[in-house]
Amino acid sequence: MRAENYEARNHPPSNEFEINFGPNHPGIEGNYALKVKVHGDEIVAARADGGYLHRGFEKLMEQRLWIQNIALVPRICVPDPAPMEVAYSMAVEQLCGLEVPQRAQWLRVLLLELSRLAAHLFTFGGHAATTGMYTPMFWGVADRDLLLDLFEELTGGRVYSIYNIPGGVRRDIPDDFLTRLSDTLDYIDSRLPDYDNLLFTNQVFVRRARDAGPVSQAQALDWGVTGPNLRATGLAFDVRRDDPYLVYDELEFDIPTEQPGDAWARTLVRRGELLQSIRILRQVIDRLPDIGGPIRAPIPNPLAWNVPAGEAYVRIESSKGELSWYVVSDGGDKPYRVHIRGPSSMHAVQVLEHLVTGCRIEDVAQIMFSLDACPPEVDR
Amino acid sequence: MNDAHLPVERLSIILGEVKEVRVTQKGPRRTRLDVAADALPALLELLKGRAGFVHLSAISCVDWPDDAQFELVYHLWSYELNLLVSAHTRIDRDPGVYVSVYDIYHPAGFFERDIHEMYGVFFEGAPDMEKFILTEWDGPPPMRKEFDSEGWVNDHFDWQDYRPDWLLELEAQGGGVMIPPDEQRFSRRGIEDNDDAG
Amino acid sequence: MSAIDYKKSGSILNPLKNLSFFARPAITEPLEPRRASLRYRGFHLNDWEKCVGCSTCQKVCDNAAITMVKVPELAEDPLNGVRNLRPAIDYGRCCWCALCVDLCPTGSISLSREYVHTCTDDQLSSYFMLPDPNGMHKEFFGEGWNKTAENDLVDPQRQAMNEMAPDARIANFDEIVAGYDRQQAIIEASRCVQCGMCHDACPTHMDAPEYIRAIWQDDLEEAVRQIYNTNPFAHTCGRVCTHRCETACSVGKRGEPIAIRWLKRYAVDAFTPEQIQAIVGTGDTTPTGRQVAIVGSGPAGLTAAYDLARLGHAVTVFEGLDRPGGMPRYGIPEYRLPYDKLDADIAVIEAMGVEIRCNTWIGRDITLDQLHTDYDAVLLGLGLQLGRSTRIPGSDHGGVVKAVDVLRDVTAEIPETVPASAVVIGGGNVAMDAARTLARLQRQVHGAVRVTVSALEDFEHFLADPEEVTEAREEGVEILDSRGPKACIVEDGRLVGLTTLKVLSIFDEQQRFAPKYDDGDEQMHSGEMVVEAIGQMSDTALLGEALTERLAWQRGRLQTDDDGRTSEDWLWAAGDMVRGPDVVHAVADGHRAARSIHRALAEAKMEERAS
Repeated sequence: MRAENYEARNHPPSNEFEINFGPNHPGIEGNYALKVKVHGDEIVAARADGGYLHRGFEKLMEQRLWIQNIALVPRICVPDPAPMEVAYSMAVEQLCGLEVPQRAQWLRVLLLELSRLAAHLFTFGGHAATTGMYTPMFWGVADRDLLLDLFEELTGGRVYSIYNIPGGVRRDIPDDFLTRLSDTLDYIDSRLPDYDNLLFTNQVFVRRARDAGPVSQAQALDWGVTGPNLRATGLAFDVRRDDPYLVYDELEFDIPTEQPGDAWARTLVRRGELLQSIRILRQVIDRLPDIGGPIRAPIPNPLAWNVPAGEAYVRIESSKGELSWYVVSDGGDKPYRVHIRGPSSMHAVQVLEHLVTGCRIEDVAQIMFSLDACPPEVDR
Repeated sequence: MNDAHLPVERLSIILGEVKEVRVTQKGPRRTRLDVAADALPALLELLKGRAGFVHLSAISCVDWPDDAQFELVYHLWSYELNLLVSAHTRIDRDPGVYVSVYDIYHPAGFFERDIHEMYGVFFEGAPDMEKFILTEWDGPPPMRKEFDSEGWVNDHFDWQDYRPDWLLELEAQGGGVMIPPDEQRFSRRGIEDNDDAG
Repeated sequence: MSAIDYKKSGSILNPLKNLSFFARPAITEPLEPRRASLRYRGFHLNDWEKCVGCSTCQKVCDNAAITMVKVPELAEDPLNGVRNLRPAIDYGRCCWCALCVDLCPTGSISLSREYVHTCTDDQLSSYFMLPDPNGMHKEFFGEGWNKTAENDLVDPQRQAMNEMAPDARIANFDEIVAGYDRQQAIIEASRCVQCGMCHDACPTHMDAPEYIRAIWQDDLEEAVRQIYNTNPFAHTCGRVCTHRCETACSVGKRGEPIAIRWLKRYAVDAFTPEQIQAIVGTGDTTPTGRQVAIVGSGPAGLTAAYDLARLGHAVTVFEGLDRPGGMPRYGIPEYRLPYDKLDADIAVIEAMGVEIRCNTWIGRDITLDQLHTDYDAVLLGLGLQLGRSTRIPGSDHGGVVKAVDVLRDVTAEIPETVPASAVVIGGGNVAMDAARTLARLQRQVHGAVRVTVSALEDFEHFLADPEEVTEAREEGVEILDSRGPKACIVEDGRLVGLTTLKVLSIFDEQQRFAPKYDDGDEQMHSGEMVVEAIGQMSDTALLGEALTERLAWQRGRLQTDDDGRTSEDWLWAAGDMVRGPDVVHAVADGHRAARSIHRALAEAKMEERAS
């Protein structure tokens, strides 16, 4: 098509262009696209485009036995899979009225907080990379790998733990695991000054992140923002404390908040959460040896397991925000309906579209990453 | 002691003003409400305005083809009361049209768009009913119960045909594949039979 | 670490502090392949010695990644629940969840500590593997995720069966086993992994996986329908079957097998005979005009009668004694099989249109020749009603009796003086039945049990079921092993007991029965009655000399083809007299004979039409 015909048909101002961010783009943990219209280097309109990681999990789960789904659920969020497993298991337990043994609950907390640590390290690295700083990204990924070693030792898988099962967990901790966990936490602790030097107190990063993609508390509540993104607007809300599950009400931890709600505030909240997760894990290390008993309630033969009809709505604080699972049983051997509300389904669509509008091209990627959205959670 | 019950009591006072709502207490912080479809938007307004249920956690759709209905569940959280309320309502499966609550809750925009895409329910007044995930899909709304996704996959894709040496050797000895994997799928029991009958 | 103030930007020089990195020691990892963690979920390993090919892994696999492959070089052993199938894994589908490991009934599958498999496009078939114990790349990386008590999803314990305590049961003939209630039955049925080993091992190939599943689903009508597909002696087999199915059960490889027999009992006990008849229907009732005579109303005869009647043939069953049922009625004590339960089985069979004529002894009241003349086919299901004798000195005394006679007399309620003490010769289940029956009678009449069982075999190789031995002991029966009978001692014309010798060996080098005794180790067991329970034989006098001459025999048993037809084209034989004593074998035999008879009658009809 000749250029003049194109212009005649569309009448675009000559300095307006459409740019695709994605579906392959380092601004997000997975395949996801943001189509933006730019005027000069300013974004004038944005449209989120998902579906690249849609695997039909909700539909698949309706077609598998209750137990078979444990292999499926961690895949719904690659960087932070543990909350998915725990939420699904908790939903089935609620439907069955299964009492989860204490030790299993503590082991779940251990897994969840390890998963949060790993996810946050990943996010710092990603956020740093979107501002052009790749060393923190390599560090984040490399240090996360030490946590993956722990996952491998505890659960048998590096990323997809498949460690939770309705009724409890599948294996107890291996010998001396808590010692190695403690050593790894000490190591990560010792690494934080390095991260601070290179990232969190680095003027280049701080000045880029400050004032980028700000969200007010009112806007956050209006758009259904949750998790660290909500806490960065000054609201100290955490499902772990305010709608507690497992044994979080027995644990001491603070809820880090910041007021301005911009990319810098969001990252600072996550840095604070990293410290809190280490604090929780150290409490688990102290308490776990004294908590005896089984790690799983008896469950029926997976091939002959009908779950009583009913519904359960389970909420969990994942590293991204409020993760909710709505599970319906019609009394059969498979779930009748599973609905997963990934926190990113809010952050990556309406919120993101809104935030990038008006900002400049170079900030799009960092705003995306500072929201810590996980596309497979959106696509499911 | 009574403080723990206070939020629930506050909620029940407000709900006392609404007609035709069935309240089921499902847990210390979980309440189920059942309302008629035409009363739901007003209920949501009331919960948001008077009881601080500002957070729409999710809207879930459940397909009940035997009842010819869709069930819509609005999960609301109050940051003041620390309570979750799930408001259930049912709409006719055909034509599958309901009103959008985007004006009350902006997150509804995402959920209604998703339900429209997956179940074919149209929400009147929703800002955006465009496809989001299944951009290139022109089949039926796939989350409806009558759509058999695994059946669709079996119709459209072939199983990988592996011919490793060990298998050829076993076949030469009179052995080989006896029970292919799809024959034993417990999760498929009854489904294929129904297909045949249909 | 402390919090960072939002407003603080930090020095532009901060990143330079990390130059200190150059002074820190480098982290190095060796290049050789690393072994994964001790519970890593790598590639499948399968111990072929342990694996029985039950395909449970395939059933629980999320992704249809497991194919069962036949390996001809491996042995098949249906009676012990072993197939020559082994799982092959499609690594294009596997998601390494290890549910196959957790649910494997035998514990044969585990996952390795190996991380990597990759290939070029033309080697794609390398993604389809038949795991063995050695690993997929000819190198053993060690066992990773395996079966432990923590992750085992197989429930090894069956639901406990309520049984009457020894004190409560010893003075009566009430049924000992209480049976499952609904909840117990559903839980027990839920343990089943649906492998079908039971079906393969059962002589009559009962559809056990199907009826167990139906019981789990609380659909007892369907369960009864499935049971009656292959076994009209459901009440009887639900109580006294030798349950080969449970021997073969995959779950029994490490734990207790599913209580298949008790589940069958639970399902059929839920209905009256009329309800069962309504559930199973009456088959094709268009009369064929053919008439079949069946001699003997035991499981073999009546099973054949049930099948033939459902095919439209007119069936008449002749029973010499005054009640139908054969050995289950006259040979099995009531505390194991109550008569009303046997009656229920027979009522369903009669409802199919089978006529049973009791007190009609063939060879005495009617001749076999007469049956040959009046009927199109004759089936003999005589059973093994004559006891064998030890023929030791004194065994011809009136106080020495056969176990089958004792059991039959008790059933028929023939009044009899009960001996205050008794010795039973034999170590099989019949010996236990006789001993426990006498024990009950003694308790009723004399108030005390004095029964001694003397068996040839030692306890390591005992013939009776272990639970029979345990229960007999609980009831006060003394059981002696490795004792060979020497003589029945008669003093002043009165039987006073049995002397036995220590057994040195039972078989000679050629494995023939030739017991050797230690003459120096003799014991005397006092008893007013000695019961011989060393085996039974068939009473074939009804055949008459000429026919006996014409028929083929093997070791005293009538010889037939695989389907029970004798060398005479009108005569079939089935059950214990052909196969040896066992109810469920007799049922299987009854079906075979019925099929053969039906086929022969159909062929005869074709020939008639043709001529």
